[in-house]
Amino acid sequence: MTLIPEILAIYILDALFLFFATIAFILSLQIIKDWNFNATTKLQYSLEKKSYLGSTIIKYMFYVKLPLFLFFIFTLDKISFILPGAMCGAGVVNSNEYATVLLFLKLINIYLFAYWIVLDTQDMKQENQPYLKKKFMIFIPLYLLLVFEIALEYKTFSSINVKDVVDCCGAIFSTNDNTYLSKALSLPTWSLLGMFYINFILLVLSAVFKYRYIFATLNLLFILISLLSLVAFFGTYIYELPTHHCPFCMLQHEYNYIGYFLYGVLFIGTFNGLVVGFIRFNARELSKRLRVSLLFNFIYVAVVTLYPLIYYLRNGVWL
Amino acid sequence: MIKLNNISKIYEKNVVALDNVSLWFKEGELVVLKGVSGSGKSTILSLIAGLVKPTTGEVLVDEKKISKIPDHFVSQYRQKNIGFIFQKYNLISSLNVSENILLPLVPLNLKRSECKRRLESVLKQFSIEDKRDTLVKNLSGGEQQRTAIARASINSPKIILADEPTANLDEKLSLEFIKILKDLKSQNKTIIVATHDPLFFNLDFVDRTIEVNNGKIIS
Amino acid sequence: MSLLIALLASTLFISNAMKDEYNKIISTYPDIVITNQKALRDSTIDENEVNKLLAIEGVSSAVPRVWGNYYFLNADKKFLILGKDEFETYPNPLLNENLDIKNHSMLISLGVKKILDDNYYHNYFNFIESNGSIKKMQIQSLLNTKESLKNPLVIIMNKDDAQEIFQYSKNEVTDLAVTVVNRSEVAFVATKIRILFPSAKVSIKKDLRVFYENVYNLRSGFFLTVFIITFFTFFIIIYDKVSGLNSEQRYEIGILKALGWRVGDVLSAKLYEGLIVSLFSYILGISMAFIYVYLLNAPYLKDIFLNNYDLIGDFKIVFSVDYNTLSLLFLLSVPIYIAATIIPSWRVATLEADEVMR
Repeated sequence: MTLIPEILAIYILDALFLFFATIAFILSLQIIKDWNFNATTKLQYSLEKKSYLGSTIIKYMFYVKLPLFLFFIFTLDKISFILPGAMCGAGVVNSNEYATVLLFLKLINIYLFAYWIVLDTQDMKQENQPYLKKKFMIFIPLYLLLVFEIALEYKTFSSINVKDVVDCCGAIFSTNDNTYLSKALSLPTWSLLGMFYINFILLVLSAVFKYRYIFATLNLLFILISLLSLVAFFGTYIYELPTHHCPFCMLQHEYNYIGYFLYGVLFIGTFNGLVVGFIRFNARELSKRLRVSLLFNFIYVAVVTLYPLIYYLRNGVWL
Repeated sequence: MIKLNNISKIYEKNVVALDNVSLWFKEGELVVLKGVSGSGKSTILSLIAGLVKPTTGEVLVDEKKISKIPDHFVSQYRQKNIGFIFQKYNLISSLNVSENILLPLVPLNLKRSECKRRLESVLKQFSIEDKRDTLVKNLSGGEQQRTAIARASINSPKIILADEPTANLDEKLSLEFIKILKDLKSQNKTIIVATHDPLFFNLDFVDRTIEVNNGKIIS
Repeated sequence: MSLLIALLASTLFISNAMKDEYNKIISTYPDIVITNQKALRDSTIDENEVNKLLAIEGVSSAVPRVWGNYYFLNADKKFLILGKDEFETYPNPLLNENLDIKNHSMLISLGVKKILDDNYYHNYFNFIESNGSIKKMQIQSLLNTKESLKNPLVIIMNKDDAQEIFQYSKNEVTDLAVTVVNRSEVAFVATKIRILFPSAKVSIKKDLRVFYENVYNLRSGFFLTVFIITFFTFFIIIYDKVSGLNSEQRYEIGILKALGWRVGDVLSAKLYEGLIVSLFSYILGISMAFIYVYLLNAPYLKDIFLNNYDLIGDFKIVFSVDYNTLSLLFLLSVPIYIAATIIPSWRVATLEADEVMR
């Protein structure tokens, strides 16, 4: 399995990340230990310079991580071709227990890194650099998560066994088994949809009143409910098949790669929503973020609603 | 508005550039720092520009302790407030006149139209319009000097610092420079010139002359 | 750096093209092939077993096939013999149309003709059967094969003749080829067949595809490893170059900083520079690879890939754009180059303006 060029490429970049992240990690430790903003010593000046290196490395990793994540999904799709039984990435992810964790971990890391970058940008805007020490302290657990992710990635890829037969997404996401997933999928449609839209309306309201924390919490909820409703309901209209509940297949070209668009928009919307809860922005920045979050979440809701509507308009019935 | 309090600057190998110097400069003043090479006057300019940090003491500009803030912000302060004319001009020879003049504006992320407007204004002000596309290495001494001054003015700084500006010029060009200086003073900029050129010592529009010797102020 | 990318890109393009060719060929194969085995070795099967297969639901056709290899001692070469039954019409990738073959005659490919001519067989050839007797076969005509599949050594004859040469009895055939109506049912039908023929090897077309895919992945993986090593050398060279900035460059950076450029500004400028350089090399490299592989048909490099393994003799590479490969190459070149410039750029950006201008 290892010698597929795509996986090799991922390993190479992972190694690069490890190398640079470790440098940043060491820097972070030094900064946390000795940073004294008011000192005029040589040590302090050298720490200042090192903080630039640290920021640059972390920013670089984030900007490379994004396309790499997309590439990772591509690769999963490609592997699905080789694994017997799998017809899309879902089969691969399900084929061993590491893969699901890996996927979630990657997503979480992307959110975390994005948060770090926003923190860094805010920090650099103010002369007293209020978040300097904080941001490097945050990097410590981030680093550990990154290392964990890379180790897990290696383990996942190396344990994909070509000879095992794997479930296809039809089986994984079926509503028949006794798993949590299937229970969630077989919730009555109206309650699911209700939660989804009500959540969104609450989002709008809390944004209007600028309740930061509520807005952030609602965004967190929104991520969960959106994914669930996507898989349970909206996805079926994308595939025009009432039993097709797979979150991966919509990334394939038969569906115009709509998956990438939807997930991307959802990420931008919810990330901006979450970040206002964690960082205190000034008034102008806050309203900007709120607006961006609302806009992207709205686009997500709109597009996702369009699919069943168009289906109904074209066919006169619901699925 | 510019204050140097108890400044000492010691370079590598224990070279003492300044020894417990305290100075102040008022807004709109034109001050000449008089002294031979190595007396420490260049260091004073570098300190005010935030290019070096003092070993002890502090530098305050408009009550802001520029000697204490991180490099990132000092550069920002420099971008907005300082125009520096170096002894060797320090132009980038591989670029042409316009490009050199525009350099300070790059990090400010201004709109194109604004940059253009400012460029035209200083090209005109210092009479180098027709040389705008010429490479610096093909300019005469006087033209290079004017380019350097234009570059120092393009961000409309409050403070202009000049380090031995006439060291490499003949008398005619030196007098031209002094004339430009007078113009700049009339715009109410604070100007500090470090020089040992006697032409500067008896000018009527100079507010003060400070003599520097061996890292200490004499007068 | 462009050259490296070009090299890697070419290898990937070639292997992709070959994969496509395979897929094309394989798609004309029957969905399932049943080969009898004795002691886990391939053996022959009775052609009447075909009836059992036709009884399975979903099977659209089941055809007994006779084919095999014949070793020609004098030339030390193996001929691939395909037996054709007048009633058979399963599409054969090698043939452009259905041919009518006379009894005791055969059609040969260009490669076979050459070998026979070299051995003074011009109009006929004597096959030697395993009991020593000779079977004389007339050469009817040359095979008209598709361009991409000039498998050099193919002979087509009537099934009975083939059976005789292989010393099969009248009902004995090499294997049974099954076509299934619904592609997604293939695995299921195969399972049924396995139950019917417990000692037979049941190969599914998809497995073949997967097998070749793996083979090619292996080969390109090998090249990739070679590439990695070279790249790391480059990494070190680049690093060296960028960090050993000459005094002129340091001087210029000093000026910039004196003019108010922050560390961040200098850093971004340097990194953008790196980005542009690597992007440019990437595009240049890919273009070179395109030209080399698709226009010039990749001399030399292609031969490394083609060896006796294959179904394919020589072939013309068809133009195709594979986004996967392109993005793979991108990820391998641009981020790595930029990474190499991070530390040197930072070193340079944090120089004290003062120091370099003195």
